[in-house]
Amino acid sequence: MPQTFSLSGTKLLALARAVLERGASFRFRAVGTSMVPFIRSGDVLTLSPLRGRQPRVGDVIAFVHPVTGRMAVHRVVCARQAAYLLRGDAVLEPDGWIRLEDILGRVTRIERDGRRVRLGLGVERFGIAWLRRHEALWELARRAGRAARQWKWVA
Amino acid sequence: MSDNIRLQAVYAPSEDVVAREIEGELILVPIAAGIGDAEDDIFTLNETGRAIWKRLDGRRTLGEIVLDLAAEYDAPPGEIETDVAGLIAELLKRRLVVVP
Repeated sequence: MPQTFSLSGTKLLALARAVLERGASFRFRAVGTSMVPFIRSGDVLTLSPLRGRQPRVGDVIAFVHPVTGRMAVHRVVCARQAAYLLRGDAVLEPDGWIRLEDILGRVTRIERDGRRVRLGLGVERFGIAWLRRHEALWELARRAGRAARQWKWVA
Repeated sequence: MSDNIRLQAVYAPSEDVVAREIEGELILVPIAAGIGDAEDDIFTLNETGRAIWKRLDGRRTLGEIVLDLAAEYDAPPGEIETDVAGLIAELLKRRLVVVP
């Protein structure tokens, strides 16, 4: 008989892919903290198929993670031809360049405690992406500056 | 068979359902208003349910499916009928199957 159940990572990926390939959206509960504060564990996300629209910088997208092979949801911080640099809003390291064929769809709705959350998906997404992309450069510059000051002190 | 489910009836999976066999389970995701909802409406079928679902091809009657299953599983047709009627009633209630 039919029964409801919770989804494992493998099942979630397979079902999301199957539903999105049909041109329908896929609604599921997020698990994890890599997109805090814009997406929190337990939020319900609606994933929509790309329908020919290429992902853009700032978009929050679901993709097949190159290391785990599971579905992950992170932000596009840089786009280059058919590859996208993705990074979680709360993660130090980017996921690397992800190919278009490994992208499942775009997050178009976030719900928290039954209410819609818009922050993180509106125009502010461009600013968030810019900050996330350049944060690493700032960190490198900061470290370089610190090293230079230490060298000067020693010299 | 139950009052509403007849052996002469023919059913097929609804076009508004995605069925995928994953890790040995058959999982059904209904698509309502363009959304496949993993929060409320996903179902998995056990082995019996899976065997029945795979035979719902829009051509075979339930009676033919019962005989087919009874032969394959070497089980009394009466027991199979009960399982088939129960599953069809559940699938109809959730609009996962339709009359073609």
